[in-house]
Amino acid sequence: MSKNIINIILLTLVSTAFFSCKEKPDPPEVEQHIVINFDFKNNGEYLEFDTMMYINEAGNHYMVNEIQFFISDVILHNSDGSEFLIDDWKDIHYVDTDVPATHNWEVFDNIPAGEYEKVSFTFGISEEKNHSFMFPNPPERDMFWPEFLGGGYHYMKLNGKWLDDNQQISPFDFHMGIGQIYYSYPDSITDFVQNAYEVVLPNSSFDLEENSTKNISFIMNVEKWFESPHTYDHNIWKGYIMQNQEAMNVACENGHDVFTIGF
Amino acid sequence: MISCGEDKPEPEPFQPTPYQIEVPYGFPTIFNIPEDNPMTVEGIELGRYLFYDGRMSGRTHPDSLMSCATCHIQANSFECGINHPEYIGGFTHGITGKPTPHVMLPMINLVWNSYGYLWNGFVSKDNPNPNYRNIEALVWMGIVAEHEMNSDTNLAKETIQNIPGYPELFKKAFGSETVTVKNMSKAIAQFIRTLISANSKFDKYMRGEVQLTQSELSGFVLFTTEEGADCFHCHGGFGNPMFTTNLFYNNGKDSLFTGQFEDLRDRYHVTGDPMDLGAYKATTLRNIELTGPYMHDGRFATLDDVINFYSHDLVWSPYVNPLMHHINNQGVQLTPQEKADLKAFIQTLRDDEFLTNPDFGPPDKFPDEE
Repeated sequence: MSKNIINIILLTLVSTAFFSCKEKPDPPEVEQHIVINFDFKNNGEYLEFDTMMYINEAGNHYMVNEIQFFISDVILHNSDGSEFLIDDWKDIHYVDTDVPATHNWEVFDNIPAGEYEKVSFTFGISEEKNHSFMFPNPPERDMFWPEFLGGGYHYMKLNGKWLDDNQQISPFDFHMGIGQIYYSYPDSITDFVQNAYEVVLPNSSFDLEENSTKNISFIMNVEKWFESPHTYDHNIWKGYIMQNQEAMNVACENGHDVFTIGF
Repeated sequence: MISCGEDKPEPEPFQPTPYQIEVPYGFPTIFNIPEDNPMTVEGIELGRYLFYDGRMSGRTHPDSLMSCATCHIQANSFECGINHPEYIGGFTHGITGKPTPHVMLPMINLVWNSYGYLWNGFVSKDNPNPNYRNIEALVWMGIVAEHEMNSDTNLAKETIQNIPGYPELFKKAFGSETVTVKNMSKAIAQFIRTLISANSKFDKYMRGEVQLTQSELSGFVLFTTEEGADCFHCHGGFGNPMFTTNLFYNNGKDSLFTGQFEDLRDRYHVTGDPMDLGAYKATTLRNIELTGPYMHDGRFATLDDVINFYSHDLVWSPYVNPLMHHINNQGVQLTPQEKADLKAFIQTLRDDEFLTNPDFGPPDKFPDEE
């Protein structure tokens, strides 16, 4: 074979490789996402802050000044029995009524399309993940829960004021986190109580279509913290409960139906 | 190959040396450094000269000098301190004698403050006016303020421009020998961002290097518990070694009836939110024993006064922050022993290495000195 013929064959092969127009394009990448919005309501209306306009089940007149909390382990339960844990990018989300950027969580994960029959999450941070120093930067940093009281982070700070028995406006700090069992209060702690709990959102089934983004709202219905199954009376529990496991337990038990979902 | 003229020397490229902050144990990893003023070795060096040079005021007569360091004294954690010979009781005044409206704030770990500077956070990244967004603004504001240097920016920059040595330092730091107030501000801001306190006894305790005394430990428990003194919600602790949230609180100093809520420099006058009436920045407690007088108006001279206030003398108002849940008991009602323990703990936040670090002190000589 002459040198010229070899060159022609090579040129033909190279040209074919570079200029072929019959290659199949890659299939378009299909991605589904969800965006979780956080809303706050009281008795069905959007929560108004800094005004003494609410009355809880115990008859306490109260206002809410600010709410900060963590949720984690958000799980989407598929109707086929599989579960999808939102954890690819970050599995703990902080919400702060004073920080609008925290009110919308654009979930990083590409979520399989399909029918989901319910949504659940952990209110607060579970024991295995609630480690001190994991949030060195504000605003999450400022949720730290003192080492002496169990460490890690507050699950929630709900700060407000109520009209107390003496008709004085008194602050309340409805703070939840790791509880303590005391041998002699308030100095001798014998054990800690992990108060984080699972929330299963009622009526939370939804379809996630291919190539779509689903907007979901997690709604905190504030009045629910103070009712069902326990009537929470600020005059009994007073203004601070971080070192009062009994009060925090009441708050946790009331908290199971605090959240609802909106689409 | 093509050039036929004489070779011109290439201009020296402007390549300042980047400066990297080392994050101490437990400290935030996000800095508040504006994009247009990255920290450089040369910028910091220039900033240190300017910080200590009384000619920053635009004057050269020995009786008329004023620099940042006139009031911000390293040995007092960059405040003037209550023992200052001229600023009696720690109350500063400008070069003309006009009192500064509020007492000084700590100049510590400011590179991690993203929630605004000054007692009300007026200088903040959220300020719609780009001239009031970071430490750089505080420099030129200090030059022109009647209650500080009472100068003008042209005078200040011309004075510095005419001091031998400074133009070369500006060129090294910013690529031009021309002195501008903008670059003066940038340089000093860079220096201020290096003022990091992270080696107090408490820091060493956090790192497992030392143990606290029984009294200090008892004070630490008081500091971080609601049943105790409950300082930590605003002033940090183990999980927030800044010892401040850098946020703003009405901490129950005044009632409605004393006219105290007419202060044009409280947080309300930044946000317009009535809940911010009488609210001021929670200061860091690092080196706090050296930074009296205390509160925005300096009403307390000593740490004991402050502890007594939080223990017994809180005053209710509709604007008091909800974290002040002891307000209707007038305070946390500490016993004398508890007060002593709390004070002992707070004193573990004194960082002598910071107070004597030669890198933060005055330069041996200024650029025009041999």
